[in-house]
Amino acid sequence: MDGICLEFASKASAQPSPASEADELSLIRRAQEGDRAAFDALIRLYDQNVLRLAMQVVGSPEQARDLYQEAFLKVYRSIRHFRAEAKFSTWLYRVVMNVCLDHLRRQSTRKEVTMMPPEDGEPEFFQSVPDDRPALDPERAATSNEIGRRIQEALARLNPRERMVFELKHYQGLKLRAIGEICKTSEQTVKNSLFRATQKLRMELGDLA
Amino acid sequence: MECRELEERLTLLLYGELTSAEQTACEEHLAACAACRSAREKLERFHKVLARRPEAEVSPALLAEARMSLDEALDRQQHGWRALWNNGLPILRFQPASGFALGLTLVLFGFGVGWGLRPHINARTANLGVANTADVSNSDLQNMRISDISGVVPDPQTGGVKVTLDAERRVTLEGSLDDPKIQQVLLYAVKSYDNPGIRRDTLDALRSHADNPNIREALIYAMRHDPNAGVRLEALGAVCSLSPSADVHNALLEALQNDTNPGVRVAAVDALIASTEKEGCDEPTAQALAKLATTDTNPYVRYKCANAVMKFGK
Repeated sequence: MDGICLEFASKASAQPSPASEADELSLIRRAQEGDRAAFDALIRLYDQNVLRLAMQVVGSPEQARDLYQEAFLKVYRSIRHFRAEAKFSTWLYRVVMNVCLDHLRRQSTRKEVTMMPPEDGEPEFFQSVPDDRPALDPERAATSNEIGRRIQEALARLNPRERMVFELKHYQGLKLRAIGEICKTSEQTVKNSLFRATQKLRMELGDLA
Repeated sequence: MECRELEERLTLLLYGELTSAEQTACEEHLAACAACRSAREKLERFHKVLARRPEAEVSPALLAEARMSLDEALDRQQHGWRALWNNGLPILRFQPASGFALGLTLVLFGFGVGWGLRPHINARTANLGVANTADVSNSDLQNMRISDISGVVPDPQTGGVKVTLDAERRVTLEGSLDDPKIQQVLLYAVKSYDNPGIRRDTLDALRSHADNPNIREALIYAMRHDPNAGVRLEALGAVCSLSPSADVHNALLEALQNDTNPGVRVAAVDALIASTEKEGCDEPTAQALAKLATTDTNPYVRYKCANAVMKFGK
């Protein structure tokens, strides 16, 4: 481990810089002993990025807030089992990723595709657009708003693991090795998921490139 | 390097995931192969398209809302039955046989205590017919070893109070709160008696004479040291009726900073805000409010402190 995930955690500009490792370790130890203030301080180092990631995955602020809460409650319940063999950030993002994966799986089971919330009066464009839809009007496709929507749709069609790997690699900029650690899988497996996701997205969005 | 190999590595090349040797080999191939350069350009264009996905905005309001909801959920988690299960009863959780043994032990212990107390209960019942008196001398009172206080009843009409207690015999004292004998018993009750209900009733009786120095000191003492949060809250209410002074202000500040009960801390911050509106906000109070606005474990206390900080502009 080399702090790759900590770099990820500090990507967002508004998030406070991560504490030094000694500070963080002290917070972790106190949180493990039940010190709530230490737990609060610890998660404040990461919570904004977690919320942003949840927003990217689910699109709606309400669902993102639910995922955020679910993830940190799991962290709270299990922090006493955390061992300093791994980076705390890796362990944390593993929890977050599993919460996101569970959400995506539930969503795909319900066969719903929920994207950004529609504006008032706007039709529910994001709801399960059929595969055989006609080609989009080139004028509409020219707008970045429309392109954004199509990207979201295409991402939502990936299977949950491909979606998370692509999100973490392409949009969050994590190294494949770090994603492997988060997913508890080999770097090669992560590469395979990334290739499959890229291939599917290029097929769906090829007309835009 | 063959074109097929490069095609496989192109994605990793763009993500900077190749070793320097692999990267050099790819670059050499690309310099010599127009078809592969075209493939790279297509992939780069595709990445540019992906970059047009709208960035998820986490507004400060959403972040604050998420943090507040999480705080509340954590409070429930920390203080609810789940916390007892998670933290307090690990033996029962993992070893049902030990749990059964513990339960049986508790039942037997309760039975044993009840059996042991039986003669004392009978003796107490037998002495209930002792005469009441309001005429107890100071020396009598000082020599009394109070075993039980069974009632403290203020009389709103006379401003007096009736105290029923058991010492060597049952005594009912009735009189004004200015009466030293009454005061002595009530101050003992509020500081040392082990029944929180009686301590609370006593505080209620003492409120009307809060300007008496002894009573004032006892009220502040109860607010700071009573082990029962309900009694501390009652004492805090009584302390708020005292004339403003440094010791009252410091006691309220101490309650806000150190009391373990969030209800008491909320009452303390309310009292401090009320007194600050009249007296102005001193530096230690401003600092304490600013600190607790971010560090108190209870979200409502933090909210109250943050509001106070905004209100007093420090």
